[in-house]
Amino acid sequence: MTPIRKFEKPLGMRDSFPLINEKKEKVRGIGRRFFQLRGFDFIKTPTVEYYETVGKASAIPDSSLFKLVDRQGETLVLRPDMTTPIVRVATSKLLKEQIPLRLAYFANVFRAQEHEGGRPAEFEQMGVELIGDDSVFADAEMIITASELVQELGINSYRLTVGHAGLLQSILTQLTQSDQQVSELRKLLVEKNMVGFEEAVRTFGLSNEEEQRFIEFIGQASNVQSIQQLRPFIDETNDSQVTMYSYLSELSSLLENAGLAKLVTYDLTLTSEMSYYTGMLFEVFASGSGFAIGNGGRYDGLLQEFNSDVGATGFGLRVDRLLEVMTTTMNREPHTLIFFDSANYVNAVHKAKKLRNQGIRTTIQFIGNVEDKEAFLANFTDVVWLIEGDGNNE
Amino acid sequence: MSELTIAMPKGRIFEEAYVLLQKAGFQLPDDLEDSRKLIVEVPDERIRFILAKPMDVPVYVEHGVADIGIAGKDVLLEQKRSVHELLDLKISQCYIASAGLPNTIMNDIAPRVATKYPEIASNFYKEKGEQVEIIGLNGSIELAPMIGLADRIVDIVSTGRTLKENGLVEYEHIVDVTSRLIANPVSYRLKSERIRDMVKRLKDSME
Repeated sequence: MTPIRKFEKPLGMRDSFPLINEKKEKVRGIGRRFFQLRGFDFIKTPTVEYYETVGKASAIPDSSLFKLVDRQGETLVLRPDMTTPIVRVATSKLLKEQIPLRLAYFANVFRAQEHEGGRPAEFEQMGVELIGDDSVFADAEMIITASELVQELGINSYRLTVGHAGLLQSILTQLTQSDQQVSELRKLLVEKNMVGFEEAVRTFGLSNEEEQRFIEFIGQASNVQSIQQLRPFIDETNDSQVTMYSYLSELSSLLENAGLAKLVTYDLTLTSEMSYYTGMLFEVFASGSGFAIGNGGRYDGLLQEFNSDVGATGFGLRVDRLLEVMTTTMNREPHTLIFFDSANYVNAVHKAKKLRNQGIRTTIQFIGNVEDKEAFLANFTDVVWLIEGDGNNE
Repeated sequence: MSELTIAMPKGRIFEEAYVLLQKAGFQLPDDLEDSRKLIVEVPDERIRFILAKPMDVPVYVEHGVADIGIAGKDVLLEQKRSVHELLDLKISQCYIASAGLPNTIMNDIAPRVATKYPEIASNFYKEKGEQVEIIGLNGSIELAPMIGLADRIVDIVSTGRTLKENGLVEYEHIVDVTSRLIANPVSYRLKSERIRDMVKRLKDSME
């Protein structure tokens, strides 16, 4: 190990320099106004949570949690997401006061440190949770809200992919002979390993016809524009499948009404590592980032882990990836510098007060301590000189 | 039609994969002028090839600077990157195996395995219920057992000639390897038409 140099930060951590920070604040401001306008209340929770509760229940795999130990020897985690802490608060307190609940957040979350670049150990997420409503309208609200927020942020080239965890589970169960096969196939679908999927299916000892059905399913159900194209994969004699399918078609017509038809594709093979996703789930992709900028879905299963049986749905966007995708450059706001010498301090303060009262961003700086004046001045849009004998005194 | 960036491994796999693409009906020039170029444009097909080290192909694809790529299964198993594995191209077939000096057993106290695939090797022995010590090497892995650095090696085998010539024997067949077509998850959605078209044409031409 090489010794730590003075300038180093812990692995995976990033500084936000003023310009980036401003951009983040802008995103936060847009998000805040946007969510409030839609009736969501903002909430904050602790940075540190118990591993036993939030850590174990969260959607983030154990090996990716940032763990610590407290003075009592309990394992703690730096919160890996905001959904789980919000569910903790909601089930223990807030749901007793109001149901359904609409909560929003803008918060930093943490992941285990990784050596490779592009995988920060701390980054910001913003999103919402709608707890206590298991209707299709709640799910539609989440997808539409996510889409509108992305647009509000000025991102034009993006797509949403929608799937249904329950329906996938049911179709896989029907096509296979054991739970073990289902979970094997699900794991391969999480990675979208089509080759592995086909290979696995071949080892199941199915008839040619059954195998063919599987391969058609993976090939054709993974990217369709219209929900009707999924119909052939639904078993009409299976009531729960038919119910979930009609749920999905209802969702699709709600999205169509909201003008999202061109932006949404359906992927019945979309799934997540976490088993708590029970219904609709979706991902948001935008050109300019190699990774999804956000995702969401219905997570009734997580509520059950916190002993509540009300439904919940939500989504989150990753702010670090949004910044990569957002092309709009920040306009420099007017910023006046008052340069003063020792004789003019009182004048400078007076002048600054006047300008600030007019809402103009103003900095006062003693000229004697600035060596490279030209470089310093480049940071401002306007300069007032309060220098003895300069004739500029007001 | 959106432009498609394809990360290709330099060398033999590139040539085989290039022929596959031609067979699938892509209009690619027969000889690429300068073999030292790292980026090759084919404007007629709106395709751009970037030529990379085989181990690096999944890196370019995962970060999205290449939309799709061609990578060996060995590399995919070793690096576990989040890319979609779309198609088995069935080219450059070989396998990963463990090998060592004939009639030897692993050291009881500290069984040592030399390899350039630390992930694959340690997973393989874990599955077998053995804990081994891994020594990472970058090439000429066969040297390790010959000069006493390790009891076994885990390496890629295509014909087995290198093993034989160095007096080593194969012990366990670990996994078969072929080249795969991989895709970035975002490109897979945003350029789905082009990517799915390519998969279909490659699939059809391989049958």
